[in-house]
Amino acid sequence: MSRFFATGSDSESEESSSAEEITPKATGAAFNKQNLLLSDDEEDTKRVVRSAKDKRFEELTNLIKTIRNAMKIRDMAKCLEEFEQLCRAFLKSKAIVDKEGVPQFYIRLLADLEDYLNQLWEDKEGKKKMNKNNAKALSTLRQKIRKYNRDFETDIANYKENPEQSAEEEEEKEEAESGSSMDSEDDAEESATAKSFMKKKPAAEAAPEASKFLKGADDESDSGSDDDDEIWGSDSTDSGSESEDNEGNAGSLAVAFLKKAAMDGDRMGDRKKEDRKKRSKKKERAEEEAEEEALEMEGGEWEKVKGGVPLVKEKPKMFAKGTEINTTVVVKKLNEILQARGKKGTDRAAQIELLHALAAISEEHNLGQGISVKIKFNIIASLYDYNPNLATFMKPDMWKKCLDCINELLDILFGNNNIFIGENIAEDSENLAVSEQPFRVRGCILTLVERMDEEFTKIMQNTDPHSQEYVDNLKDEGCVCNIIDRLLQYLESKGSTEEVCRVYLRRIMHTYYKFDYKTHRRSMGIQGESKSEQDQEESEGEDSAVIMDRLCKFIYAKDRTDRIRTCAILCHIYHHALHSRWYQARDLMLMSHLQDNIQHADPPVQILYNRTMVQLGICAFRQGMIKDAHNALLDIQSSGRAKELLGQGLLMRNMQERNAEQEKIEKRRQVPFHMHINLELLECVYLVSAMLLEIPYMAAHEFDARRRMISKQFHHQLRVGERQPLLGPPESMREHVVAASKAMKMGDWRTCHSFIINEKMNSKVWDLFPEAQRVREMLVRKIQEESLRTYLFTYSSVYDSISMETLSEMFQLELPTVHSIISKMIINEELMASLDQPTQTVVMHRTEPTSLQNMALQLAEKLGGLVENNERVFDLKQGVYGGYFNRDSDQRGGYQQRQGYQRGAYQQIISFVHSFTHPLPHSPPPPPSTDFLLFSFLFWVAFISVQLQISILCTSFSSS
Amino acid sequence: MALSREPAAAAAAANSLDSAVKQIQIEGLVVLKIIKHYQEEGQGSEVVQGVLLGLVVDDRLEITNCFPFPQHTEDDADFDEVHYQMEMMRSLRHVNIDHLHVGWYQSTFYGSFVSRALLDSQFSYQHAIEESVVLVYDPIKTAQGSLSLKAYRLTPKLMEICKEKDFSSEGLKKANVGFESMFEEVPIVIRNSHLISVFLWELEDKSTVAEKHELLGLSSGSYLEKSLQMLMDRVDDMSQDIVKYNNYSRSLSKQQQQKHQYIQRRQQENAQRQSRGEPPLPEEDLSKLFKPPQAPPRMDTLLIAGQINTYCQTVKEFTAQNLGKLFMAEALQGHGS
Repeated sequence: MSRFFATGSDSESEESSSAEEITPKATGAAFNKQNLLLSDDEEDTKRVVRSAKDKRFEELTNLIKTIRNAMKIRDMAKCLEEFEQLCRAFLKSKAIVDKEGVPQFYIRLLADLEDYLNQLWEDKEGKKKMNKNNAKALSTLRQKIRKYNRDFETDIANYKENPEQSAEEEEEKEEAESGSSMDSEDDAEESATAKSFMKKKPAAEAAPEASKFLKGADDESDSGSDDDDEIWGSDSTDSGSESEDNEGNAGSLAVAFLKKAAMDGDRMGDRKKEDRKKRSKKKERAEEEAEEEALEMEGGEWEKVKGGVPLVKEKPKMFAKGTEINTTVVVKKLNEILQARGKKGTDRAAQIELLHALAAISEEHNLGQGISVKIKFNIIASLYDYNPNLATFMKPDMWKKCLDCINELLDILFGNNNIFIGENIAEDSENLAVSEQPFRVRGCILTLVERMDEEFTKIMQNTDPHSQEYVDNLKDEGCVCNIIDRLLQYLESKGSTEEVCRVYLRRIMHTYYKFDYKTHRRSMGIQGESKSEQDQEESEGEDSAVIMDRLCKFIYAKDRTDRIRTCAILCHIYHHALHSRWYQARDLMLMSHLQDNIQHADPPVQILYNRTMVQLGICAFRQGMIKDAHNALLDIQSSGRAKELLGQGLLMRNMQERNAEQEKIEKRRQVPFHMHINLELLECVYLVSAMLLEIPYMAAHEFDARRRMISKQFHHQLRVGERQPLLGPPESMREHVVAASKAMKMGDWRTCHSFIINEKMNSKVWDLFPEAQRVREMLVRKIQEESLRTYLFTYSSVYDSISMETLSEMFQLELPTVHSIISKMIINEELMASLDQPTQTVVMHRTEPTSLQNMALQLAEKLGGLVENNERVFDLKQGVYGGYFNRDSDQRGGYQQRQGYQRGAYQQIISFVHSFTHPLPHSPPPPPSTDFLLFSFLFWVAFISVQLQISILCTSFSSS
Repeated sequence: MALSREPAAAAAAANSLDSAVKQIQIEGLVVLKIIKHYQEEGQGSEVVQGVLLGLVVDDRLEITNCFPFPQHTEDDADFDEVHYQMEMMRSLRHVNIDHLHVGWYQSTFYGSFVSRALLDSQFSYQHAIEESVVLVYDPIKTAQGSLSLKAYRLTPKLMEICKEKDFSSEGLKKANVGFESMFEEVPIVIRNSHLISVFLWELEDKSTVAEKHELLGLSSGSYLEKSLQMLMDRVDDMSQDIVKYNNYSRSLSKQQQQKHQYIQRRQQENAQRQSRGEPPLPEEDLSKLFKPPQAPPRMDTLLIAGQINTYCQTVKEFTAQNLGKLFMAEALQGHGS
């Protein structure tokens, strides 16, 4: 049988190869390989037909075979190991066993094994000879099998009653079913005669092959069989130990036996027999080898096959020659291919190839659009399947293919109006062939596109954002958008509202973060651009704002899932904010009430929310709403985890906090780089707005003991700046802001301005805004105003009166502005002054307490707290004690109510001190048991108060 | 410069003291040395310290000489103070100077000297040498025109407590120690030789009033502010201590209640058992069952109180002086106009 022949003949089958043909087949490794690639139909169908049952049973029989081998060589350790495997395999095939009943061969093995073990167990001498490992394994195995056999008691009993019959049955069955295992016959025979055999020469049967040979020899040399047997018996121990090494390699084992047999033959002087023996031996050996090879091949093949690679093999020819290719056949094939999907060991690349080939075939035979749509669906699906892991991303070529496929699919869908696709169309109600009726295809294009979008995100996440590769990948974004757009058109005409909502959201997701430069230029540069350009631009497409508006409003109206609406709102706000439509953005945010319940949303939505808030804050800043900007950014910035909250990177944290799994999940949530919000810009905006709020506030409340911080982070930065031992010119953005804050504290707006707006800061931050110049102008103005306020707070005590003109000159502000700022301060009672209209001056009232007075006030307050604490101790000791504590408590309450640092507050202290000191002499004498410490406290508090009174009197005197 | 108290007044004050030393007589030399030490080595809130030498005559402690301690720095952590002191005293003996150790001096910043460190070291001094004192020198007040030098000793009561190391509130109550009775001030007399006195008289004759103008300074804000600031800090500390004490006593009373309940329950059970004729339950160690909470030490509170007291004293003194000055200035103004 030549190689050529093998390739050519499809009808050739392994089964038909008889013993005579084996000899040439012995060289058939190559042949076999060939066979694998282009295997013949017949066999394949056979293989495909092979049921799960057969597979399982074959596994079992293989295991049983090895156990029997091990039994023969008394290798208990091996036996135990194999037995355990067998049990496992049996458990695996439970489903089949339940259906079919426990297979006979299995029962047979169990029974035999038990008998065998019992026998060994009783054979004390043999046991002594056994090495330690074996002995141990023997006892374990014995216990195990006893326990195990309990489950099969009846079966085993049946078998024991009449072993022959069951064996035969089994044999028949096996032959009829598989016919693959030649050894089973031997097994059957062996087991039938097992006992007698074993008694005589248990180890002689180290391998079935050997025994077979032996039998052959026996048959042929009847006369000398006895001697033979004896010799074999005597040799048994040696060969047994020998064969332990080579066990499993039947060929070499056979050689070993062969030699011995040959020697035997020599001794007996029976040349002829020997020759024959040799020949037969050789033959058998060859046969075995071939078989083994075949088996191995099959084994190897099986690994591949699992999952229908039989089809892979016939790649060049999908269908048998001459088969009429029609829809049903193709669908069947398709299903076959698909069955392999998702199974272990399936070559996914090959599968994709196959599907492509199938598509080509169907194309070739003009099977209609229905089928090709179906195949396309499956191609795309298997492209997605290509990566088994959710975390890994598509390779570029795969990605390209995927895009192309989807495009083609969309082409078909657009080209043929009579194709219905849907997830809900059942497999059997599909209509792929009949072209008169509309095609019905199962599948959801929307899901595919969504998946594609996700894949795109994944690709972007996994590409180094600073490489050319990223740019290249980003170019595909247009493609993705295009596909989504087309799908949108398609679904608008065909899809349900839900689907439309979903695809709209996709569209929104690709739009909201992009700054619409076109519109921006159009609104800004009516004067700058020539007419023709404008026209051209206008023809390019509608404003993204209009699109957003349309899509979002549709979703608001139609969507029934909360998530899509939430996302749409957030994107809408983001888009508004990005384009400086502050009021719309703010109103939408407030109307949606998202702030109340966003913490219940899933992390990606929360990330989107954070992004939106940040964008909103930045927008407010651009509009000059410093307070709003600060409030919007506060939550994000105060945590110090802005990066993480915006999904723009993982923070380096202790590894204990986050395990690998979590990290993976978090990585998947990251926003692709091209959608990032610049963190430095964010921080700068936050710090500058904090500075504009905090510095005047600090100046106004310099002596307030209970001053609250507006922005902790800003204070932190200030402190960091203060800690610097040597203060050089600012380098980083933060240092600039800190330096500017210091200048502002002194009311020096020029320095402040130069620190906030300069070359460095421009390039780092301000130029990132689309309307940089406008923002800078706004900033300068704010700095001037706030510096003026700070100046007035800080230095008002120095002035008796200031001319507003001087102020306006100092701060480069127009007179009306100065006037309005000062008026506001006076109205808010921040500044104790009045305006003198004719002279345009601010007249200070000079009622601010001096620093000493402030300090005294603070001290008084602290003493109040102290006394309260002390009273609490007292209460605890005494129970609630009447006397002067209660009496003056209302006075104290009055004092507390009157707190708030009005003018002339030190009179309060005096009254407080009075209320404290005067009742004391008249208070009832302390009960003798009172902790005298408490009283010592009270005394010295009173003492201090008196002294305080004096000191305050003195200072008020000196200041007058 | 000669700020010597009237001996009669000093004696009167000394009579009220019941300790071994009733009066301290300091050589002018010692005063000058202390002042010089601070001016050369101490700045700002830094504190300089040194050893006083002298001898005891009857109930009068005469301080005749002193020597400074070197300033502590990070570099010479292994500096052996005791060795230095011994060496110094031995050397001084060689030049025939009084070498008896009678106390130590330290400078202070706005009167903030009542601290644990001072208490501990003065205790160890007084424990070893019964007559020893601590001289506290206030450079800021001195700069304002009046020498401020005060000698303190621990009262015998406080010595007792320190010896027993019992700083719980009960211990303090038993010993009847309040913040006022922690330290006793010993009157000081500065003594100069007659020659020097004569010289000083002569100098005073020649000097003009202008040189003493700092005594009449009217600016008071900064000093008061500083004092108030520190006073406030102490008050804060005190508040914290009180809160701590409060918590302690609350938890204590809670536990007392629990203990009481437990005992009652036990008694009831025992009564029941008795009526049934069973043996009573064995006694259990209650202190094990209810561990009393750790009582916060009161010594720190006491010290803070003492410190606050000192601040108040200084503020009072200061304001009293300033009031006088202000009236004077007003009168002068009225006179001039």
